[in-house]
Amino acid sequence: MGVLSILIFLPLVATLLILTLPSSAKATYKYIALGFTFLQFGLSLYLYGNFDATLGGIQQLDAYQFVEQLSWIRMDLGAIGKLEIDYLIGVDGISLPLIVLSTLVMLMGVGASWNIDKNPKGYFALLMILNTAVMGIFSALDFFLFYVFYEVMLLPLYFLIGIWGGERREYAAIKFFIYTLLGSVLMLLVIVGLYFSVINPVTGAHTFNMLHMMNPANYVDGSFFAYITNYHEVFGIPARLIGFIVLFFAFAIKVPIVPLHTWLPDAHVEAPTPVSIILAGILLKVGGYGIIRVCYSIFPDIAAYTNWWLALIGVISILYGALNALAQKDLKRMIAYSSVSHMGFVLLGIASLTAEGLSGAMFQMVSHGFLSAALFFLVGVLYDRVHDRYIYNFRGLASLMPKYTAYVAIAFFASLGLPGFSAFIGEAFVIIGAFNAESMSTGVPRWMAIGGSIGILLSAAYFLWTLQRMFFGQTRLKGGQAWQEALTDLNIREQVILFPALALALLLGIMPSLVFGNLNASVLQLIELIKP
Amino acid sequence: MITLTHFLVVSACIFSIGLYAVLAKRNTIMILVGIELMINAAILNFVAFGKYDKINYGGQVFALFAIVLAAAAVAVGLAIILNVYRHFKTINPENIHELKD
Amino acid sequence: MNTFLHISPITASILVMLFPLLAFIIQAVLGKKSISGNIALIGIIASAVISLFGVFLPGWNSTSVLQKWEWFTIGEHTLYVGILVNNLTALMQLVVCIIALPVHIYSRAYMKGDSGIHRYWMYLSLFCFAMLGLTVSLNLLQLYIFWELVGFASYLLIGFWFTKETAVQANKKAFLINRIGDIGFLIGIALVYAHCGTLDLSTLFDQTSSTPLIDKNTPWATFAGLAFFLGAMAKSAQFPLHVWLPDAMEGPTSVSSLIHAATMVAAGVFLLCTVFPLFNETVLLVIVLIGTLTALSAALFALGQYDIKKILAFSTISQLGFMMVGVGIGAWDAAMFHLTTHAFFKCLLFLCAGAVIHEMAHLKAKAQLEFDPQDLRHIGGLRRFMPKTFGCMVIASLSLAGFPFTSGYLSKDSIVITAYEWASHLGGVYVLIPVLLIIVSILTAFYIGRLIFKVFFGSFKYRSYIKTGMTFHEAPNAMLIPMLFLAAGSLFPLFGLSLTNYHHTWIMQALDVDTVYPTLTQAHLFIPALLTGGAILGWLLGWNWYVKNKYPLSENNSFVHFANKQGYLNEFNDRIFVKGSIKLSRILYAFDRHVVDGLTNLFSWFVRQLSVVVYWFDKHVIDGLVNLFAHATYYIGHLVRHVQNGQLQAYLGFALTIVVLGILYLIIK
Repeated sequence: MGVLSILIFLPLVATLLILTLPSSAKATYKYIALGFTFLQFGLSLYLYGNFDATLGGIQQLDAYQFVEQLSWIRMDLGAIGKLEIDYLIGVDGISLPLIVLSTLVMLMGVGASWNIDKNPKGYFALLMILNTAVMGIFSALDFFLFYVFYEVMLLPLYFLIGIWGGERREYAAIKFFIYTLLGSVLMLLVIVGLYFSVINPVTGAHTFNMLHMMNPANYVDGSFFAYITNYHEVFGIPARLIGFIVLFFAFAIKVPIVPLHTWLPDAHVEAPTPVSIILAGILLKVGGYGIIRVCYSIFPDIAAYTNWWLALIGVISILYGALNALAQKDLKRMIAYSSVSHMGFVLLGIASLTAEGLSGAMFQMVSHGFLSAALFFLVGVLYDRVHDRYIYNFRGLASLMPKYTAYVAIAFFASLGLPGFSAFIGEAFVIIGAFNAESMSTGVPRWMAIGGSIGILLSAAYFLWTLQRMFFGQTRLKGGQAWQEALTDLNIREQVILFPALALALLLGIMPSLVFGNLNASVLQLIELIKP
Repeated sequence: MITLTHFLVVSACIFSIGLYAVLAKRNTIMILVGIELMINAAILNFVAFGKYDKINYGGQVFALFAIVLAAAAVAVGLAIILNVYRHFKTINPENIHELKD
Repeated sequence: MNTFLHISPITASILVMLFPLLAFIIQAVLGKKSISGNIALIGIIASAVISLFGVFLPGWNSTSVLQKWEWFTIGEHTLYVGILVNNLTALMQLVVCIIALPVHIYSRAYMKGDSGIHRYWMYLSLFCFAMLGLTVSLNLLQLYIFWELVGFASYLLIGFWFTKETAVQANKKAFLINRIGDIGFLIGIALVYAHCGTLDLSTLFDQTSSTPLIDKNTPWATFAGLAFFLGAMAKSAQFPLHVWLPDAMEGPTSVSSLIHAATMVAAGVFLLCTVFPLFNETVLLVIVLIGTLTALSAALFALGQYDIKKILAFSTISQLGFMMVGVGIGAWDAAMFHLTTHAFFKCLLFLCAGAVIHEMAHLKAKAQLEFDPQDLRHIGGLRRFMPKTFGCMVIASLSLAGFPFTSGYLSKDSIVITAYEWASHLGGVYVLIPVLLIIVSILTAFYIGRLIFKVFFGSFKYRSYIKTGMTFHEAPNAMLIPMLFLAAGSLFPLFGLSLTNYHHTWIMQALDVDTVYPTLTQAHLFIPALLTGGAILGWLLGWNWYVKNKYPLSENNSFVHFANKQGYLNEFNDRIFVKGSIKLSRILYAFDRHVVDGLTNLFSWFVRQLSVVVYWFDKHVIDGLVNLFAHATYYIGHLVRHVQNGQLQAYLGFALTIVVLGILYLIIK
């Protein structure tokens, strides 16, 4: 069992441990969860430290690192052929940053769960299952395995939102569940289609191996998704295009793009703070990761063909999300919409098909991961104290909670792309990449880049406006004296959680090479793959 | 001349009286009596038809056999009635309806 | 010269940057314990000394030196961070240090006793770090980072008194408008990167190579030039993006003097000087036009202001307009010269104004009066109480007005005269530009005269309080010494021994830009004469109006209102852009809620309705059939059950009936 498998299945051990311990020991659950996530974080740092940045990855198995391959399911299906499903996991420059990010955000999530009173056994057990699923998604290289983890991820989230959420938790949980399930069911169709179109060149059997799917030589002539000379059409749309669209749709729900984003504000607002953190910090990245790993790598021809539309969707998401955030009166909802806007940059960067844009998009994902986690945590701090997060109910918090205000201000400025923080590098390189797209003639026009940069302006507008409305001015609270006493400044635990996230944002903003260095080879190889 | 028909008519009359007693009487003993009457009607028929078996006297023999059996049955029947009475404190069949669904 | 500590200019300029950063970090860690400002002061003194002896003296007028370190690799390009020391950057860095030092000293007295003073020092150090880093950046992206950090520090300092509503409105406005410019800057960077593949200033604008990397007469170069200019417009408060600067006066006066007068706002001009080789004719013309428009409009608005700091703010904007014109006509050496002299006298003007405001605020607090201590209408006749401040302010004002013997005379003339030469070379309507500049200069003299007359002459409204024992005295030494230092810097000897000829100042000689148009000697005579004469006339008029109280205009005059309200530009922006975007955001949110989410909900409603229909069908049709069968069976059973009544006799009778029926059946068959 390799490091990667340990990383994936460690949380399952934690789940079993939590489930077997009697309820009288419920105070220990959080320590178990914390211990295991900490161990995972250590493991991911080990991966990071031993990663060879010169190797690319993408469609070459030998360029992947920490690879483990086991035969999982082998079944003779008679006339249809042999079912061949592998337990195939590995890491390349695209997945490594996201794995490290996920372990860190999980750590923050567990830290934010410290005061969960309602059925801690179930809560932490579900959280750890979710953890396993997330690690699995980012390292699976077999499409079937990927799909299994993808589905496993859904279930704990449904319960986490539906049981531990806010007032309208059931509505939000169901909306989230149905939306995502719709995507994954459609994905399953394409997976099956791909399975019957691709052959393992070694054994000659159909395969679920994603890397085989990325190689045009492995496609069966005349099959549904055949690479060249494909005459299959659905409603007059070429089969490969429709496969790409369906897969994109599945992941776009996760990103989310406008107009498939409406589950996100509801889920975020109703979810408990730790789940919001994980949702924004990790799960949105599954969407971006899926687009790069699955849509772009398996359908590179279509990727080059459709990127104008993808970039347009990205720009619309940026502007639409930002303007919606400007209109919000609920702090958490505002941050949820800002996530839509920031994830729009990811899509724009990916669609630009330039090294700068793709790297910028990856960087933006990492940066948005812990910054949005920090933002949701900060909202949670306020909500914990007074159970209110309506912007106009607060005023002049700076005099009351100076440390909190300092952290909020830093997190806000980091998110709005102040240079020196990570979000700036991400957004700036997405914009630069989008500008570069015209020189590289990948088909993304420059006005889209300009549109995206207006999103940077708008993000400054809503963050600063919120800062001014809630934190500056004379102190005036809706709850009066009672609130004034309840609103105590940050405690040590909260600072311990927040500080690393913001420090990391600063570190990555000053030394982007920590991320860029590892993913550069993979990004270049992906671009090579898309532009034959 | 008393013909076979006369016997049969008398037998039928006795049978009908017995049947009536069995179906209509509100006393189990009387039902038992009715049963006895019906058995005797049958015995009468045995005897009456006995004239066609002059070699073996099957009719008479069977009649005697039936009389003995009837006596035994009455003894058992009375014993049951006694037990029923002990259990239900009545021998009116209308009040004994444990068999009802 | 390179003997000071035996360090290279590169190392020295890094040290210059690092000292304020170190001061910032120490103060951030110390928090409320660092109230004295000693750490910040030590940091800036060290920076100033190293900047002067380690960077400026060895680096001035020698070949430019640079050093770079690999930052990160993205795609096939590697980005470097680096330090570039040439005449331009060394001068800019020195100016920042030399201005920041007196302001730090001044702040010790000015900000004494403020409850948030620990934050003040922290922010000030952060600003110095960012500004000093900006000056010597080699890479455009690196420059951009410092550029925004400067804006961030300015945001923090404008909103220093964060409980004041106007202050927090002002800092938000400042940051957002700067953001507009930043987007321009970023677009410029992106375009340069897309076409040249590098952001290294030394590579991009390498004069020595035979084939320049940038062909500036291409459409993208025009676009990139305009984008860079947009960035400079916001930072250097050019019309119509100047609106943030008057509002930024909500910050402490010492901050206004350092950031919003001398250094940060000049960063835009500095940027344009840095990327000057990129600009083609079209872009330069736009710069000239915007610069002139800014200079004129700001001078007009300054006439109608009552707030001391706002007058000075508009005068800053107006002077920045001059510098822009300088860049636009290709004489960026003149622009840099004016930037330098302007830094001294404008900083001094603000510090003097600060001293006045400080005393007025003291009086207000002690006498428990309710008035705005910055409002000109409440101040007057202060020359008797604050003679030294008065002296300093007069020197600064003369310099601003471009009076002979001052540095302002040299630098302003350099711009106006060069503009005239430029215009006469091109001919036609271009002459309008120098004419307008001369008018603006005369207006400048007039409004700064108005300020002096109103503050230091005439009668003092609250004199009675002073007689009753309230002290109203000269500024303390900690404030006076920096002012005197700057006053010395506002005179001509600092820049060269020549009284009149700006070509002989050391800055102009070192930077020396070759211009395509010929020098006109007669312009060197009549333009200074015109400017000085006009200024004196303006002052005479002002003396009559404001000191002798023969004011000819009514206060409700529509022109006065127009100028006072800054041409209603704020109201316009507020109505169109602010309200507009908020409205748009509300509409979009409603759209999101009702249309996008509505569609989702409609879909879910549809599915639910469908499920209701299907359920009805299932319940009534499919399940109905099942139930029908069950019911029929039940009913038959129900009919038969009467047999089972428990009556012995009934059983017998029933058995009999069946037997009879059976017999009947047998008979009938």
